[in-house]
Amino acid sequence: MTTAVTTAGPKIAPVPPEPPPAEPNYLNVSYSLWSWLTTVDHKRIGLLYLISISVFFVAGGVAAGVVRLNLLSPDGAFVNEDTYNRAFTGHGVLMLFFFLIPAVPGVLGNFLIPMMIGAKDLAFPKLNLASWYVFMVGAGFGVWALLAGGIDTGWTLYPPYSSRSSTSNVIPGVFGVFISGFSSIMTGLNIMVTVHKMRAPGMTWGRLPLFVWSLYATSLIQLLGTPVVAITTVLLMVERVAGIGIFDPMIGGDPVLFQHLFWFYSHPAVYIMILPGMGVISEVLTCFSRKNIFGYHAVAWSSMGIAVVGFLLWAHHMFVAGISFYSALLFSFLSMLVAVPSAIKVFNWTGTLYRGSITFQAPMLFGLGFVVLFVIGGLTGLFLATLGTDIHLHDTYFVVAHFHFVMVGGMVLGYMAGIHFWWPKMFGVMYSDWWSRVAAAIIIVGFFLTFVPQFVLGYHGMPRRYPNYPAEFQVYNVMSTAGASILGLGYLLPAFYLPLSLVFGKKAGANPWSATGLEWVSPSPPPLFNFDEANMPVVVCGPYEYALGVDQLGRGLPPGPGLGEANDPASKSEAPAAPGPMKKETEVVG
Amino acid sequence: MNSLPPLIPVVASTIGYHFEALFWYIMVVCTLGGLGVYAALLYFCVAYRRGTTTGSTPRILGSHRLELAWTIIPTIIFFSFFGWGAVVYTKAMHPPQDAMEIFVIGKQWMWKAQYPNGQRVIIGGNPRNMTEAERKSIGKLVLPVDRPVRITMISEDVIHDFGVPAFRMKMDVLPGRYTTTWYHPTKTGEFHIFCDQYCGTWHSLMVGKIAVVGQQEFDEWLGGLGSYQGSEQPVDGSKAFSGRQLFLKLQCIKCHSADPNAAAPVLEGLYGRRVPMKGGGAEYADAEYIKQSILKPRLKVAQGWEPIMPSYEGQVTPDDLDDLVAYIRSLKPGTTPNRTDRMSPPVGAPTVRSEKKE
Repeated sequence: MTTAVTTAGPKIAPVPPEPPPAEPNYLNVSYSLWSWLTTVDHKRIGLLYLISISVFFVAGGVAAGVVRLNLLSPDGAFVNEDTYNRAFTGHGVLMLFFFLIPAVPGVLGNFLIPMMIGAKDLAFPKLNLASWYVFMVGAGFGVWALLAGGIDTGWTLYPPYSSRSSTSNVIPGVFGVFISGFSSIMTGLNIMVTVHKMRAPGMTWGRLPLFVWSLYATSLIQLLGTPVVAITTVLLMVERVAGIGIFDPMIGGDPVLFQHLFWFYSHPAVYIMILPGMGVISEVLTCFSRKNIFGYHAVAWSSMGIAVVGFLLWAHHMFVAGISFYSALLFSFLSMLVAVPSAIKVFNWTGTLYRGSITFQAPMLFGLGFVVLFVIGGLTGLFLATLGTDIHLHDTYFVVAHFHFVMVGGMVLGYMAGIHFWWPKMFGVMYSDWWSRVAAAIIIVGFFLTFVPQFVLGYHGMPRRYPNYPAEFQVYNVMSTAGASILGLGYLLPAFYLPLSLVFGKKAGANPWSATGLEWVSPSPPPLFNFDEANMPVVVCGPYEYALGVDQLGRGLPPGPGLGEANDPASKSEAPAAPGPMKKETEVVG
Repeated sequence: MNSLPPLIPVVASTIGYHFEALFWYIMVVCTLGGLGVYAALLYFCVAYRRGTTTGSTPRILGSHRLELAWTIIPTIIFFSFFGWGAVVYTKAMHPPQDAMEIFVIGKQWMWKAQYPNGQRVIIGGNPRNMTEAERKSIGKLVLPVDRPVRITMISEDVIHDFGVPAFRMKMDVLPGRYTTTWYHPTKTGEFHIFCDQYCGTWHSLMVGKIAVVGQQEFDEWLGGLGSYQGSEQPVDGSKAFSGRQLFLKLQCIKCHSADPNAAAPVLEGLYGRRVPMKGGGAEYADAEYIKQSILKPRLKVAQGWEPIMPSYEGQVTPDDLDDLVAYIRSLKPGTTPNRTDRMSPPVGAPTVRSEKKE
């Protein structure tokens, strides 16, 4: 096989005129609170999710702050053990179940999937609204558990501690997780059906943006995995309330059974969290390097591969939990398999940058940060998937650091990249370029400083969930807390410049990044039904034809960010030529 | 604040060396791979930044050859991790046949160990959560160097995990099911035991110490003579512990107490000392002397004391005498019981307090 390199000839497709601002758009069509709470518009529901998960992110972040500050001293700097245990549990439950899982599917997925595939809305708009309400009811139980004093079981909820021993508010917390799971199933179902049934004419599976592919894979996991955790949490509640022995050996249960059931969902769940982030990165890296994605099919199918293989390796969380020797061998082997598609993605993203024309706006910085941090997160996962090393590293800070590298370095940066990339589309305004770049830099640096010391701590054997620790570990804990304060500062910045941009931001055009996706065809902010009723999009090509300079409708691309200025070589390369058949020169290398 | 610990923490078991070799193999391979990706990213970001390019890019769709290469090569590398890891895991999960067996019980928030000869010791936990007797029995898990030991573990309540970083080993401790782990210590010294599975409020205080000692010291300790565990009281189930029980039961404590008005000398630190005798001369306080003093107390009386002690001949067996000697030998300054102390309950059985809690 060869590498086909096609150099774009003169830009052939004309650049369409800037569409007139939508009047009314989805934001200003009505203002009452009631109109927001009863909306079935996927874009408004996306914003409802945005607001609610932002609140949970802040709450989870405060809990993380308590944890990190307390670890400054080997005997606990300022809270007692009980408070510490509630803080790290609150951090885990809020961040995982009420931020990471709904973040990209709930906010960006809801907002963008219909626009990307050229549909007016998701397949089931009312189900979509219901999913938000269900999520909020679940979150309400979670908040109840927190306000009533918190939960101290850890987010993993292992019985018999959680079912017999803990005196904290396990029931409302677990019930919240149970309920919010249904919201996840609804969103997954909605996205899946939408992608199957509502693609615009010409939007074949091979022309779907990779963000859609990754959310499709995510939805598969949500649909098949979430019911298992629902059952598990119900069994846990039944045991705790009624004393029916399922997991507690004292009344005839099996504690390892819970771990199997819990990880059968919760391991794929980390792919629910990371896959959407990967999708965002594929969109961002192509746009800011002005390149086709390298290996479209490899990236798309690796998402599906992760989704399917991800179901088959749950017991790698249990290598020292007393499972059978042979099942440990099997699950270690399968865990190696899931590392392969992740590696393929990284290599393809790197290949995408090759011979690109790269600019470094905030989404790109977050996107590159994602790749850099995800490489470490992924590679350190291999230490934990390898049986011989996992024995020592299991349940230490090595796991904590690995998990945060993937979930924060990966998913949160992916989410930030997505928010920054699509912010002008969502609100029709552009945020401060300088401040957003500064925030990206601070977050990436702060992240490194926070979590690299934790790898060392874990390698030296410091167990997780320890408010008291031997004094020799203090150095690294202080380093980590110092890094966390920088990271926290980095998170604060977007909380200022993003909302401020709504008032003071420059108006953004329909396609400020000169991107190729269908979502950029509509004016910003988009009209109520995304696309002009009389002029529904007809897709003629794949999603990333930056080299040809055409969007998915075959129209020319407007000047990109910072382009159109006299000193920019990109803008003066070619004048738009007359419409006609696309010409391209193809050279073959390799 | 302490200075930085060493790069590679102490390795004190055979499995530890296997772990380190494998760990650094993965580390080197992954670092090379990661740096390769970083180098490519950095090079592309610099070489192909907008300023140096025309803005027009080639239409590169991918390469099957490259996709195959970067699918197959990582797969092979990952499988090498798996294979080596499986070898180490096989070693770690299968104790040798000749290993000495020690039982460990975990409970909120305490570790208890029992040796083959019945000697029991609390090897760590949260002192705030213990009875007085338990607190005084906190010692160390004493292991012989260069000899395999198998640890068979069970939990009394929730899931715990018995982890020893210096040995690079850990294993969950489950209620209602035995799990095992094993060590072949290669270094003498003291090492951390951590509970690695979250078990509630004082999870982080469910820590203890392992003391790896030479074979001779270990035998002496296992024989109930030494007191290397560093516990305040003799270890439950040891000769010295039985001796202590006798010491209280036979009312020895009524006179041989630490009270300034006591009618008889306090016995702390007596063993091996040269004792001046009433009427001149001196005797080494060895086992022979102590036994004689119990059976025929008026034969050799220490200087400064009245010969008021009754003979215990017929009341104690030769075994009892050995126990009493072991106890007196273990008595360190400040550890003599109060005159009002009763025999302490055996450590290790479920205590009254913990039953009430259920």
